[in-house]
Amino acid sequence: MNPIDAVKPWFSSRVTRWLERRIPAVNEVSLHRKNIFILPTGPGLFFLTATSLIFVTAINYVLSLAFGLAFLMVSLFILCILHTFRNLQHLSLRGVGAEPVFAGEDAVFVVLLGRQPDHTHEMLELRFPKNIWSQSDILDNEQERVKVFLPSTRRGLLQAPRLTVQTRFPLGLWRAWSNVDLAMSCLVYPLPQAGPLPRLVGGSTSGKPESVKTGVEDFHGLRAYQTGDSLKQIAWKNLARGQGLKVKQFVDAVDDQLMLDWEMFPGIDYEERLSRLCHWVLTLAQQDIDYGLRLPGVEFTLGRGDAHRSKLLSALALWQGGAL
Amino acid sequence: MDRQAHIPRLTIWWMLGALALVVAPHLLRLPFWISGLIVTCVVWRILIFSGRLGFPNKFLKMLIVFLALPLTVVEYRGSGAGLDAAVCLLILGTVFKLLEMRQRRDMLIVVSLCYVLTMVGFIYSQTIIAALHALLTFIVITGALVTLQRDNPRSSLNNNGKLALRLVAQAIPLAIVLFVLVPRIAPLWTMPVPVSSSKTGVTDEMSPGNISRLSRSAELAFRVSFENDAPTQDQLYWRGLVLDFFDGRTWRRAGSAFQSYEMIERFQNRFSGERQGEALRYDIILEPTQQSWIYALQLADFDASDILQDRYFTLHTDKPVTQRFRYKMRSYLNNETDINLAGVLRARALQLPEQEANPDSHQLAQTLRAQSSGDLDYANRVMRYFREQPFYYTLTPPELGAASIDDFLFNSQQGFCEHYASSFVYLMRAAGVPARVVVGYQGGEVNPFEGYTMVYQYNAHAWAEIWLEGQGWVRMDPTAAVAPERISLGVQAVLEGQSGFLEDSRFSMMRFRNTEWLNTLRLRLDAMDYAWNRWVVSYDEDLQLQLLEAIFGDKAKQALLYALGVSISLFFMIAAFFLLGGRKRDMRDQATRLYLRLLADLANVGLRRQRGEGPLDFANRVAQDRPDIAADMTRVTTLYVCMTYAEDRQEESFGQLRENVLALRLRLSSPWRRLVLRSIPAFR
Repeated sequence: MNPIDAVKPWFSSRVTRWLERRIPAVNEVSLHRKNIFILPTGPGLFFLTATSLIFVTAINYVLSLAFGLAFLMVSLFILCILHTFRNLQHLSLRGVGAEPVFAGEDAVFVVLLGRQPDHTHEMLELRFPKNIWSQSDILDNEQERVKVFLPSTRRGLLQAPRLTVQTRFPLGLWRAWSNVDLAMSCLVYPLPQAGPLPRLVGGSTSGKPESVKTGVEDFHGLRAYQTGDSLKQIAWKNLARGQGLKVKQFVDAVDDQLMLDWEMFPGIDYEERLSRLCHWVLTLAQQDIDYGLRLPGVEFTLGRGDAHRSKLLSALALWQGGAL
Repeated sequence: MDRQAHIPRLTIWWMLGALALVVAPHLLRLPFWISGLIVTCVVWRILIFSGRLGFPNKFLKMLIVFLALPLTVVEYRGSGAGLDAAVCLLILGTVFKLLEMRQRRDMLIVVSLCYVLTMVGFIYSQTIIAALHALLTFIVITGALVTLQRDNPRSSLNNNGKLALRLVAQAIPLAIVLFVLVPRIAPLWTMPVPVSSSKTGVTDEMSPGNISRLSRSAELAFRVSFENDAPTQDQLYWRGLVLDFFDGRTWRRAGSAFQSYEMIERFQNRFSGERQGEALRYDIILEPTQQSWIYALQLADFDASDILQDRYFTLHTDKPVTQRFRYKMRSYLNNETDINLAGVLRARALQLPEQEANPDSHQLAQTLRAQSSGDLDYANRVMRYFREQPFYYTLTPPELGAASIDDFLFNSQQGFCEHYASSFVYLMRAAGVPARVVVGYQGGEVNPFEGYTMVYQYNAHAWAEIWLEGQGWVRMDPTAAVAPERISLGVQAVLEGQSGFLEDSRFSMMRFRNTEWLNTLRLRLDAMDYAWNRWVVSYDEDLQLQLLEAIFGDKAKQALLYALGVSISLFFMIAAFFLLGGRKRDMRDQATRLYLRLLADLANVGLRRQRGEGPLDFANRVAQDRPDIAADMTRVTTLYVCMTYAEDRQEESFGQLRENVLALRLRLSSPWRRLVLRSIPAFR
């Protein structure tokens, strides 16, 4: 095993602990002397190399003006520490949060950047570790919203890691950065997985969910034509308008309520059950019916509407160990 | 998308601008096909940018590189020093990189190369113009860097230019401090120096027409500043070389061996006798001559280790003078040298061509010598001969035949200083008096603004030295016998109007010296150039020490590092103070700070806020005492009170408060303070 690999976890845990003490997690952070770090960039070191080359030539050819040029470059290099630092100083970051996403999607964290009245900040870059950079400036507005992306892998409460905010402005010779923890999190719903709703134990006898059984009575909407559909159901008017071959759907309001239940999917593993339930919650939310959810230990009574849907999805996201 | 790989479109123009500025001074100097290639590449890049041409494919790139490399080597094969070729390759490399510049990394390489190329320009020229040009280039290169970093709506030609200008302006103070204080180190290793093929100034051969050619040029030869008063014109004989071998037409240095540095070093000979009289101290800045001898007044003494003195007490440098060369001299004008003339030297000083081609001159020498009481009397008789015979001092004498001395003395009788010096020394030697030709410059023009003396190429001169028993070498100038005003008034007084004078310097300001304001301008510009060279271009260890001793006294050397450290940290702190502006509190605190500053200014004009008096009460009292500022005061106070007590819309009102407070304070201040308030944000 590579000795560096052996030291790495120990080192990174030390760094993490040190960072936690130095820049504790709070929702709003203002950047200042104690939480901004600054180091030269690769091009900055290249610039210094060019400067040394000029300096050595100045010595060897006794070129007074080349000395002057080398010193001007050194001076510019030093000055850039201040300018790059200044570009982050007094920048405030507030974590707004993120809309819930489904597992596997990118969580979009919104960060509100703020400035002091006499400071502007250009070419700011933000990202979560090992993810893509989002770029932003605060020039004329007092505040600026930035979206920072973080992929979610599994359902639950995704805690945002430390956010890196950095800048190389104005010359790219130095990189000033800070790693702030804005204590943001994002709710990750299970990934919906389509599948038939099996017969309820002791419930409905229909193979399909009762409430959405396709019928002939109430017109429900249009869907694309599939082979085998009855000619009577084709929406001829829409076809005449050039809107393609559609079929009118009718729903039989056999039942206008449905209780989803953990026990509906026996023999399937937990996460997949949650995924299927998630799919059905989403499907039912689009129907004009009341629905509820029963999980071991929790029960959500029948209801409808966005708030109800969100409540059920959160329950699925956070159920048993969902909170990471 | 990786943002670091993306190049903002505006960058390419900055880049091309920087490159054009960097390469422009070299274009005329480089071989024309290379200049053509450079221009082609730049145009190609512009066409790529505007979408009319694609990037060159791999084959074409290879072809260009593999053709350009050997061609450059062949082009510079003969020139000896590899520097010109290296510079050429560096420029070509940068320009080729332009054609495959697609990524940010490539741009950064080109930018760094541009900085290096700016320095390369200094190898060829360090004038004020070159420095200003380099500064402009530096700003544009920095602007290119800014543009490369700035990929937002604020990026525009104007904004980026301003930011680059501000960065460079802020960097200059520290650069100056470093320039003055960083210890100058001696060259680490010897470098090939570009030797220009065109040597200027006096040469080490003298044949008829040789010196008069120099009078066509109004170029500067060197500048001298005397520590005390400058000697009179007729004492300014700047000795260059002693020519003591005559082949019937041309004067040369005796023995080619003495022309190599090694030989001069082996036979170097510092004057060891007693120095008589007061030393004349002066400081010379010699323009590049590409020759390895330098000029000074008779019997020069010096401390420099890179200067050698030979048996003739003329001075040499270890390598050709390719850049302005500054040296300090002490001269003892009336010092005697070689009281005893040893065998070889005497023989050399009496040498004449083996085949006697000038019988008439020989005859004249014998006749005059027979009439004289001694060597000095004889020399004076020859001088009188020049004065009394109808000799004519001219730039354009007729061609001389094979018997050049006879032809001149008895036939044409027209000539320039080389003719007189040559025939004088000939006549001396023919009569057995040791004599030799000295070439150099005579006279000089005093710059009234800076008080130094300018010596031009047209001041080139040749004269004679003869050896007298008991006196050693004595200077004799036969030209002074023919044209005394040449020595007393200067060469331009005599030659002005003669065809040929300053002919090669058709556009030189020297030709307009009779127009007064132009002449003043010329002298002023020269004074500026001189000061530049003296204090900037030839700023070295000595000057550094001198300056530091003036500031720190004896402990200058020890103080240097402290001074350096202190000034760098001081610069950093001052810059940090102005840029980072101390600790920023929240806006309410800042509003209070603004208000308190206003109160301080009001107190200065006698309006003091009482203990316990609220802002609104105070504003009312001010309004009564000073109706002229009543409205402003009320507005500021209202804004302040709103800001401190209201929760919302803080930012907007803060901006208003700041503007109003500043306006009011400007009205209250004295003109001087007003200027300070306007120009330094930290005091607002």
